[in-house]
Amino acid sequence: MRRFFRTYLPFSRAGVQMMLAYRSDFLFHLIGEMLMCIVMYFVWFAVFESSNGSTFMGFSMTDMTVYLFISFVTSYLTYSDGAIALGEEIRDGSIVMRMIKPVSFDMTFLFQELGGRCIEVIIALVPMCVCVEAYKFCVTGSVMFNPVCFLLFLLSTVLAYLVSFYFNVCYGFTAFFLKNLWGSNVLKDAIISFLSGSRIPLAFMPPLLQGLLTFLPFASLSYIPVMIYMGMYDGMTIFKSMLLQAFWLLAFWALSKLIWRLAMKRLCVQGG
Amino acid sequence: MIYVDNITKEFKKTIKQPGLLGSFKSLFNPKTEKIKAVDGISFHVPKGEILGFIGPNGAGKSTVIKMLTGILTPSSGTCSIDGRIPQKDRKNYVREIGVVFGQRTQLWWDLPLTETYAVLKEIYEVEDSAYKRKMELLNEVLDLQDFIKSPVRTLSLGQRMRADIAASLLHSPKVLFLDEPTIGLDVVVKDNIRRAIAQINAEEKTTVILTTHDLSDIELLADRIVMIDKGRNVFDGTVGELKQNYGQMRELNFELQRAEDKALLDYGKHFGLGEDDLKVISDGVNVTVRFNSELVPVGDMLSYTLSQVHLSDISVKDADIEEIIRRLYKKEVRIDA
Ligand SMILES: Nc1ncnc2c1ncn2[C@@H]1O[C@H](COP(=O)(O)OP(=O)(O)OP(=O)(O)O)[C@@H](O)[C@H]1O
Ligand SMILES: [Mg+2]
Repeated sequence: MRRFFRTYLPFSRAGVQMMLAYRSDFLFHLIGEMLMCIVMYFVWFAVFESSNGSTFMGFSMTDMTVYLFISFVTSYLTYSDGAIALGEEIRDGSIVMRMIKPVSFDMTFLFQELGGRCIEVIIALVPMCVCVEAYKFCVTGSVMFNPVCFLLFLLSTVLAYLVSFYFNVCYGFTAFFLKNLWGSNVLKDAIISFLSGSRIPLAFMPPLLQGLLTFLPFASLSYIPVMIYMGMYDGMTIFKSMLLQAFWLLAFWALSKLIWRLAMKRLCVQGG
Repeated sequence: MIYVDNITKEFKKTIKQPGLLGSFKSLFNPKTEKIKAVDGISFHVPKGEILGFIGPNGAGKSTVIKMLTGILTPSSGTCSIDGRIPQKDRKNYVREIGVVFGQRTQLWWDLPLTETYAVLKEIYEVEDSAYKRKMELLNEVLDLQDFIKSPVRTLSLGQRMRADIAASLLHSPKVLFLDEPTIGLDVVVKDNIRRAIAQINAEEKTTVILTTHDLSDIELLADRIVMIDKGRNVFDGTVGELKQNYGQMRELNFELQRAEDKALLDYGKHFGLGEDDLKVISDGVNVTVRFNSELVPVGDMLSYTLSQVHLSDISVKDADIEEIIRRLYKKEVRIDA
């Protein structure tokens, strides 16, 4: 175990340094996403204004605001672009440089990305949670922060990230067979952000679709942790949801190993 | 140490059909054609030897190296390195080898060189003291000092290549695979790199396989040559043997007393030599004649020259390896090996 961390932790350190090397890219990206989130806030504000009752499908405007912002950080943190890097390395053949080292690829990508995530937790998640709690305090006049919920939220977010990571590794591995990542990642991301409920709460969807989407892996990517944060789930539901996340994590992990094994057999590294 | 036995590699090339519908079709019913990049190559490298692995562009050198390093799986045939099969248990196998692909880098593009080395140290579990000693040695031979703190993307090609070689040697591998390590480098850097390879080979008995298009690499480093073409073995032996077997070409260099005497020399007509067996290059009073010494003995060549013109200087040069290999690549020499 110690050996494992000694091997892969330097990748995290490198990840941090790389993020610092491209800090302006990263900051602009974050600001862009943030603005998008604020736009969404005003859209929902208009929806609540025009609807007659103070709640909309069980969500109050306060709930909706918390949902929007927490969902934003969560999906931001659990987003994994390993697929792009992996697909790109397969396409240009630089994946060989990983193959000649005594390391697992998935771990090198994972730890490298985790390094960056640590910084993001500090500069995105922590301030966002403080702001959201402050907002709730202003609106309701009482402190409603629940440390247990928060810890469970963190745990669930980590699971969500891992599901997202292995999902994307599987997606990236398809580049072995197709020599190219099909279509654009933008399309994939758009579909996922809809199916995962990070744009519109799954609770707003028709019951049948909602039931389906809750079980599909996409809900594990951000909806579950957000619901836990907001205290929308009771203990049993939290337990079941996390079990579901763990299930999907295991499924995608196994799938990625399987694809890898197949890929190794018929791998053609491109480029001289 | 390294045994390669009748190894082949076929690539399936999917023929892409045009358009979206085409790519969709080829997803389910791909049309493929097979290319034999390596077609039954065998050789053996004993421990501590430096093997020059050469052949014209597209011969299959890189493909063989990729199979030996466990990146590609052979279509048939076997290879084993130090008793291990590269494709089995990749993670443990690659601990024992160092690899440099001249056209790629294993260094971390955005980070200072020292960071890459620090990561490699952990990956390969190199002891602190061994690491320090190794870095000192590599620093001395490869002169890394000046750029070791700079991000890799700012390095020049020569600096990067030196850094890459150092990275592949950090863990004292038993076998070193070098695929065109001197590509695009100036004479001084080439020299540095050759010295590093020679030194590591001498001190640590590292077995080295080296592909290159620069034949001085071969002459200065290689104990033995394996030449392949179109995926097949063409020659396997020492540089001396190569010269002995195929070195019929000799070179006569002389200086005329009067430049206009050139007109008196017509080797082609006198000896009846064709274009492939004779080449005359002249520049003022200096003349170089390359000729096939199997067809015309050196003595005859000399006496004809001396009988026709007055010279102020003359020398005969042995076959140089570059000329032999040029002729082998162009198939001017029959191969019966
Ligand atoms: N991934 C691939 N898919 C299809 N064909 C390939 C692939 N890789 C190599 N080839 C083919 O295999 C043959 C051998 O290629 P290889 O790269 O081994 O040559 P090489 O001897 O290294 O040449 P060079 O001296 O130019 O580097 C070439 O004809 C090449 O087109
Ligand atoms: Mg090559």
